[in-house]
Amino acid sequence: MRRDSAAEGTEAMESLYPFLYARDTDLNAVLDQVRQSTVDKSREITALRATVLDRDRSRLAECAEAVAAAFAAGGRLLAFGNGGSSTDSQDMASLFLSPSSGERPLPAFGLTNDIAVVTALSNDIGFDVVFARQIEAWGQRGDIAAGLSTSGNSANLLRAFDAARERGMVTIGISGYDGGKMAELDSIDYLFVVPSPSVHRIQEAQTTVYHALWELTHAALSWR
Amino acid sequence: MSWSEQGTELVDAIFGRRADPVQDLSDQADTVARTCHAMALRFHQGGTLIVFGNGGASTDAQHVAVEFVHPVIVGKRALPSLSLTADVATLTGVANRVGLSEVFAHQLRFISDPADIALGISADGECENVLRGLRYAHERGLLTVALTGGHGGRIARDPSIDHVIVARSDDPRVVKEVHVTAYHILWELVHVFFEHPGVLDEEVTA
Repeated sequence: MRRDSAAEGTEAMESLYPFLYARDTDLNAVLDQVRQSTVDKSREITALRATVLDRDRSRLAECAEAVAAAFAAGGRLLAFGNGGSSTDSQDMASLFLSPSSGERPLPAFGLTNDIAVVTALSNDIGFDVVFARQIEAWGQRGDIAAGLSTSGNSANLLRAFDAARERGMVTIGISGYDGGKMAELDSIDYLFVVPSPSVHRIQEAQTTVYHALWELTHAALSWR
Repeated sequence: MSWSEQGTELVDAIFGRRADPVQDLSDQADTVARTCHAMALRFHQGGTLIVFGNGGASTDAQHVAVEFVHPVIVGKRALPSLSLTADVATLTGVANRVGLSEVFAHQLRFISDPADIALGISADGECENVLRGLRYAHERGLLTVALTGGHGGRIARDPSIDHVIVARSDDPRVVKEVHVTAYHILWELVHVFFEHPGVLDEEVTA
């Protein structure tokens, strides 16, 4: 796994622009900058969670009640997203299906779990349909579709929500910035928008949103 | 009490539980900074970041790999990283033949180079396969980094691990969220050291 391109790249740039690379050996100054940045980013995520809580407190509780009703009636959760959000959607599905702290397992699948299906659909038809076609194959009335996107603009999510709506599923969208195109859809029942200019902080607060939905769903199931 | 009253109270409690562990991460800023520097040195030497964990942390391993390979911020360079949990064939193969506790050590034995970085993620710090992977990596000369939670667990106390960041919460969901913030910060701040190439000379010390 040894690769020398990173070091070579820096050296090549240095020989081209030596004035930009005056030896900066003040490691302590850089460490200080990095420490301060860590403190600043921690502050940002805590402030962002407080904003999400203010905006969505009641809707999180309402959404969890709808999800609990769907599970109680035999529904299943299908979760999907791209890139980092694909890992979050798989985590969300696995949290419902295999909770680590003894809660009742509930049926859930990540639509990026099966790389054969994802590459087959992408290669034969196009990446825009990778989630919609799986929803058409799997989804039933009363199931739950949850899609995560930081931009809210992923074409394959937009198509998936429309497919889920046609099937009569409960639809949940988790997006960032101003909600993107997901905010313009009428096929999303519960849309949670994390308003931040940072993709990273958005993902961190989105994780809190689906963790909260999971915990609230169990509370709502016990309350029923 | 109606569901809407009970539910919204619970939402407040859930969000409230996140604040202290994030502040605790902020208090570990020095560890974060030194970890970023050590990782930047390894990347500078041509190392690859190899990430692994179980359950929810397996998805974090994949998230870290995509973060480094395909940066979300335009202009940041792609850095080599791979997740051991993306290879389900090898994971289930080794688990079936030898046992789950050997999976990551096996992959590292045949995939890693001494210049690489091993990053193990374990919400309670007790995952046997993560610990064995990190111990093997240390023996081979890799830089070893762990993200753990709770009180740190066996992994946080193991002498074979160079840098440990602990998400201090008993709630595995909160631990995961602090881990996500921690690896986002590690990714972003590793690049700060590349902007100051002088600090990547081996002889420079703080």
